Amino acid sequence: MKYILYQLKKNPLAIIGIAIIVFWVLAAFIGPSVLTYTHTEMDSLNQMVSPGVSGHVLGTDALGRDILSRIIVGSRSILTVALLTSMVSTLLGIVLGFSAAYFGGKIDQTFLRMMDIMMAIPPLVLSMVVLGILGGSSIMSLTLIVSIAFIPATARVSRGSLLTCKNNEYVDAARIRGESHIYIMFVEILPNTIGPIIVEATARFAYSIMMVASLGFLGVGLQPPTPDWGMMVIENKQIITDAPWAVLYPAAAIASLVIAISLFSDFVSKVLIHEQ
Amino acid sequence: MNSSILTIENLNVYFDVFGGSVSAVRGLNLTLDHNESIGIIGESGCGKSTLSYTIMRYLAPNSRVTGKVMFREDNLLEKTEQEILAFRGNRIAMVYQNPYSSLNPALTIGFQLDEVTRFHQKASKEKAREKSIQALTSLNMGDPEGLVKRYPHQISGGMQQRVCIAMALLCQPDLMILDEPTTALDVTTEAVILDLIRDLKDKYAMSLMYISHDIGVINKVADRIVVMYSGEIVESGPNEELFAHPHHPYTRALINCIPREGLVKENFRLNTIPGYVKQRGTDEGGCPFAERCSMKVAGCIERYGMREVGEKHAAACDRAYAADVADSFAKLKVSRSKQHADHTKPILEVQDLYKHFGKKRKIYAVNGVSVGVERGTVLGIVGESGCGKTTMGQTAVGLYTPSKGRILFNDTDISVSWKKRSPEMLKQIQFIFQNPGRSLNPSHTVEQIISRPLKKLMGISSREERKTRIIKMLEQVGLSEEYLSKKSSHLSGGEQQRVAIARAFCLSPGLIICDEPTSALDVSVQSSVLNLLGDLQAETLAAYVFISHDLHVINYISDYIMVMYLGRVCEYGTREEVMQPPFHPYTEALLSSVPEIDPSQKKRKIRLGGQLPDPAKKIRGCPFAGRCHMQIGTICETQPPPLVKFSDTHSLSCHLDFPDAVREPAGEATG
Repeated sequence: MKYILYQLKKNPLAIIGIAIIVFWVLAAFIGPSVLTYTHTEMDSLNQMVSPGVSGHVLGTDALGRDILSRIIVGSRSILTVALLTSMVSTLLGIVLGFSAAYFGGKIDQTFLRMMDIMMAIPPLVLSMVVLGILGGSSIMSLTLIVSIAFIPATARVSRGSLLTCKNNEYVDAARIRGESHIYIMFVEILPNTIGPIIVEATARFAYSIMMVASLGFLGVGLQPPTPDWGMMVIENKQIITDAPWAVLYPAAAIASLVIAISLFSDFVSKVLIHEQ
Repeated sequence: MNSSILTIENLNVYFDVFGGSVSAVRGLNLTLDHNESIGIIGESGCGKSTLSYTIMRYLAPNSRVTGKVMFREDNLLEKTEQEILAFRGNRIAMVYQNPYSSLNPALTIGFQLDEVTRFHQKASKEKAREKSIQALTSLNMGDPEGLVKRYPHQISGGMQQRVCIAMALLCQPDLMILDEPTTALDVTTEAVILDLIRDLKDKYAMSLMYISHDIGVINKVADRIVVMYSGEIVESGPNEELFAHPHHPYTRALINCIPREGLVKENFRLNTIPGYVKQRGTDEGGCPFAERCSMKVAGCIERYGMREVGEKHAAACDRAYAADVADSFAKLKVSRSKQHADHTKPILEVQDLYKHFGKKRKIYAVNGVSVGVERGTVLGIVGESGCGKTTMGQTAVGLYTPSKGRILFNDTDISVSWKKRSPEMLKQIQFIFQNPGRSLNPSHTVEQIISRPLKKLMGISSREERKTRIIKMLEQVGLSEEYLSKKSSHLSGGEQQRVAIARAFCLSPGLIICDEPTSALDVSVQSSVLNLLGDLQAETLAAYVFISHDLHVINYISDYIMVMYLGRVCEYGTREEVMQPPFHPYTEALLSSVPEIDPSQKKRKIRLGGQLPDPAKKIRGCPFAGRCHMQIGTICETQPPPLVKFSDTHSLSCHLDFPDAVREPAGEATG
């Protein structure tokens, strides 16, 4: 803990990143209870008003909905999906990557070729097609599909980090006391390879925010009335000349969260990799 | 200051790290004369390498340096990065510990050698190549023209290190710094390289600074020896004088803790130095060695100063005095008897064992080894790297299955892999690995590490009971209860190896295979681990298979010795029989290559040329024929050597004519 503070002191960018993340998390939790307008309320007298007019801190869109409320409520869904996605894809990646690297040989080769096939399809296209077929998405389906699209990346990282530890003698020592493969993989090896995997997971967190926003922008993300940052950008595209704030603020929200998580991810990698 | 080539005055090196700064070198003064060679010795963490990196100006960015490093008239510490380039590799050259990582694997050897002269002397391509070949020739390397076209991974470790030395020689430097250049090499190769370094020094009139933790090695190359402890020089003096009369308690302890000829476990315990080298902060004073010193008095916390104790001989101890080295060995009051050994039946029996790796290109690792280990005895296996000793050990615990032949443990056939062995069998045979840092899981605590086998193989399900057993075991290996919750990565190398030993012994096994358990450790720690292994063996009557490349260690701990070469047994017998003539030529060469601690001892020089034969080839005759100094003719290469028996226990395989020996025809060399 002391060591983390010491590293943090040397790394102002990480502090900025963490501050922004904390801001969004707080906004998601307590934001809706302090807002004057709800995210669906249409203020017909104040359509497309600029920021600051009659209590609309960030202005309103073409239907008179409060931009701030929509952004803050939108942060809930995007954070939930992104967090779940990074966790699910990392877990699946560990299971697949570890088994491939641990058993090696044909299992590993089959795994690698399958990953090659999956990687040939861009994750965005893959999720778009699947979600398009499903016709709209819930938090569950969105999480699952984006996670699957991310598996090649997380599984490869897990595979690589197991390979670096596999030849350590403590693995041999575990073998000659007759441990099972599962025990060796998850009790002996996993704690020693967790660093790069956590770093990859935080990076996936940033990617999934981008992904969810992109899917929202393309119209296959979360369905209305749930406000979605990506969807807000596309909705207000037509009024960009009259009410630029309606596009600018959701876009800025996406950017700030993605950048903050990237900065945090850099910091995590520095701390964990130094520790090893 | 006319003849001195390097003068270091009041050098201090600090590193800023998390939680303050540590001082790696403190108030160091040192002069190196023209054409002089000094050896710097000390345990790891004593600042030897930091000193050499300071001279080369290779220190990490978190370092702070004060003082003066004068190279002739230039203060190296005041040079800019640009200016220092004219010294590095040109006037001051350095050879590193691991040749494999100091050569670039992606470039040919020729290219890397040429680079030096092309950069420093602006030589043309042709001229540079000519010089490179010259340098290789001067190091007695065969076929230098062919060599320059090859890549580092295509040649052996000894050759690589010779290439590194050739590279250092290219600009005919005034000073050559060698940082443990032979530590990663076999003894036979080491001996050849040490001879070479000595010759080169005289030939080119260079000054040498030789850093090593091995006193025997230092002895061979250095005229003057500097002993460093925790960043300070504690003693310096001429080679023979320092060994005959070491004055500082640290020097004495360091010399005494090394196993040597005539020291055997039945009669002696090795000397140890308690504790370990502590990193010091910036403001601690007093004698750095005080807390580990066996002769410390109350004043040691403050008093400290270098004093002359003889001609050119100074020691940093106020009570510097000389005592005879020999009498400081702890002789066992009651010598350990060998009576507990059960000669009737071997506990482990290896019958005609073969192990081959690979399918298309076969590697013949073990080729027909038969040997037995008796209950309660120690079998030492010695040989160069690549002789199959580790493969044999790992086959015995089931990490490999034999290609042919059988392994019997208490008459049960165990030539199967670990997956198919019963828990009882897994419990009976334990393995201690070479590198404790890698054989203990760094993210588990000591309790977890020792407790797991107790639960898994002994079936002790109560956590409390396991804990009491672990505490008792830890006490036996000299660790206290507080280690239970420590993670293994936070322990020192010696403590780690103790935990590994505890893990093996807590199952009360019948046989323990020790694969070079001390070769990754400092000499002072090595001696305490050897003492511990000796004590535990006397207590538990377990049998050991002790694998090592160090003949002195093998000599200390073993009852029987087996000398292996290229997967075959060269010689087998009791310790006394193997360590005395008649010798197998290979045993003789090994014995002659071991660096001696006492510089006054001279012995017959046998240097093995060449390298190990390709393990992928089947050998019809004697595997050692190509390098043997006693080869008697083509018979050596074409016919397998007969087994020559001197007694019931002592036998060797050689074509040489030994009088009064029984010869048996050779077994068919199949495989």
